[in-house]
Amino acid sequence: MSSPATVTPPRLSIIVPLYNEGESVRALHAAIVSAVDPIGVSYEMVFVDDGSRDNTLEIATELARIDDRLRIVKFRRNYGQTPAMAAGIEHASGDVLVTMDGDLQNDPADIGNLLEKLDEGYDICVGWRFNRQDKLVSRKIPSRIANWIIGKVTGVPIKDNGCSLKAFRASLIKQIPLYSEMHRFIPAMASIAGPRIAEIKVRHHARQFGQSKYGLSRIYKVLLDLMVIKTIASFTARPLLWFTLLSLPLGIVGIILLVAGLWPLTMANGSLLMPVAGSGVIFLMFAFILFCSGALGELVYRLGDMREQEFAKLTRRIWNNVR
Amino acid sequence: MHPNSPVELSVIVPVGSRHSDMSTLYAEYKRGVIECGVSFEFVFVLDGPLPVPTTQLKQLIADGERITFVALTRTYGEATAIMSGFENASGGLIVTLPAYFQIEGSEIRKLVEGLSAADLVVGRRWPRVGGVLERLRRRAFHGLLSQVTRLEFHDLGCNARAMKRKVLEEISLYGDQHRFLAVLADRQGFKVTETDVRQSEQDRFRGTYGPSTYARGFLDIFTVFFLVRFTKKPLRFFGMIGITTFLIGALGMAYLVIERLGFGRSLGDRPALLLMSLLIVLGLQLFALGLLGELIIFTHARQIKDYQVDEVVHFSGRVPTESLDRTSTSNITVG
Repeated sequence: MSSPATVTPPRLSIIVPLYNEGESVRALHAAIVSAVDPIGVSYEMVFVDDGSRDNTLEIATELARIDDRLRIVKFRRNYGQTPAMAAGIEHASGDVLVTMDGDLQNDPADIGNLLEKLDEGYDICVGWRFNRQDKLVSRKIPSRIANWIIGKVTGVPIKDNGCSLKAFRASLIKQIPLYSEMHRFIPAMASIAGPRIAEIKVRHHARQFGQSKYGLSRIYKVLLDLMVIKTIASFTARPLLWFTLLSLPLGIVGIILLVAGLWPLTMANGSLLMPVAGSGVIFLMFAFILFCSGALGELVYRLGDMREQEFAKLTRRIWNNVR
Repeated sequence: MHPNSPVELSVIVPVGSRHSDMSTLYAEYKRGVIECGVSFEFVFVLDGPLPVPTTQLKQLIADGERITFVALTRTYGEATAIMSGFENASGGLIVTLPAYFQIEGSEIRKLVEGLSAADLVVGRRWPRVGGVLERLRRRAFHGLLSQVTRLEFHDLGCNARAMKRKVLEEISLYGDQHRFLAVLADRQGFKVTETDVRQSEQDRFRGTYGPSTYARGFLDIFTVFFLVRFTKKPLRFFGMIGITTFLIGALGMAYLVIERLGFGRSLGDRPALLLMSLLIVLGLQLFALGLLGELIIFTHARQIKDYQVDEVVHFSGRVPTESLDRTSTSNITVG
């Protein structure tokens, strides 16, 4: 009664996390279909139901029943936007993955432009909501500050990290670890693999339904996470070197203090400066412990599965004459 | 009953040093389980060499009771005993019960019935008998616990629980974690409820516990705190303490140096110098530990999953639009 399922995986996967979006999910599906059908690529939609408590899942299931390009990943409970994105990426089978918000603030009509950029050779293309339809004080200004800091930290100057509308090469993004509250910083996170990143202007609509669900209260955590990741990513392959570099100044301070504490002994009836010499010993010992921590770090890196050479493989291109 | 036919319900009883007479205990539990009206088996796990229960259980097996008896060669602890029992249990529903009288056997049914609306049902002995001090201790423990986990449980010391098989398949218990099964299961996204069960006559404790009980309770809270809050973000924990310690040390050190430079107060004979050095070094070391923790998380990020997928809904083969009312061939994978 029904046509056989397409065996070849689609070229494009559109990933949308949904949390209590019962009002907009139908319109969202229609908007995606009408925007992507004309592009003429095979595609699928991956809706991730992040433990919604309204009728999101029911409506989405109805849609899936009539549209075999729609796949729904249902979470056991609400986990948040980063896990939802990560699950969508995991279950998507396209070569190119596009992520977007489920609240209709992003416009699927921009997907074609994102894809063009990827065809030009970029690995990631992010949207920039140049005429953002949100409150100035509570959303736009904090976001501008955050974007500036992120640009400084990661060295990837993206004007709008918070825009969910992004396109990625699947081979790259599937290998990037996403955890904690990283969804805002997927490009920054991906920057550990040195991708070619493009940014294009996208439309942004005012919220039609419901409430904004993810506020700025978490921004400090996110920034902390980001710095941690950036630091970790840059020293992960050579912890011994980094810890040793850190321990050097402390070792030097230790030696200076030790010498200063012992110095009076060389003079006639001079006495040992106990607190100074003691401090010197403490600093020296710590420098040594830090060095040992670095050695432990080497062990961890060896046993882990985040190798720099793997990251390098994700984005490298090779030219040669071999046929 | 055929000894190898599959059963619906497996009862796991970890037997440790605190245990009652096995045959009376088994008789009591069996009466309760029969009331559930499903086929069942018992799995007794002996946590270490315990001659008396061994003889009693072997006798029960010789009498033809459907009992699996797992003997561990040394004492591993209750969590490991439960997991060993689970490996030898075939039921789709699992009930764990203590090896001593804690609840009345007739209450088992309540726990199992609760599974129709939950994945894990933990018992709460209520109404509860106990001294004033004991009640205060319990309230303090669970109050603190709910502060840490934002979950309301009243009696984690109750070892009677009923759960669906998938709960133990996903959560590997070790150490003392059996007590926090409810917390861990909730974290994993399972639905956990608490049911009042009648306390056994023999479980009435009227005395006061020694300080070791209090210490263990506090350590338990700390364990949960760490499990729930910081296992995925070690730097937030270590870094917070480390930076605080470092700042105290650095400020103190600055004060000492200013006194030396500005007011000529000698630095070399002040023990405070040692203290400040220690604080600075300790703070940095804690921070370095946090970084190491983050390194472990980062290098294993692909194995760590932050989420549990309930199911993937996908209908393969598009239903022609004109026959929408017909049911399509559905292809629902449950993961």
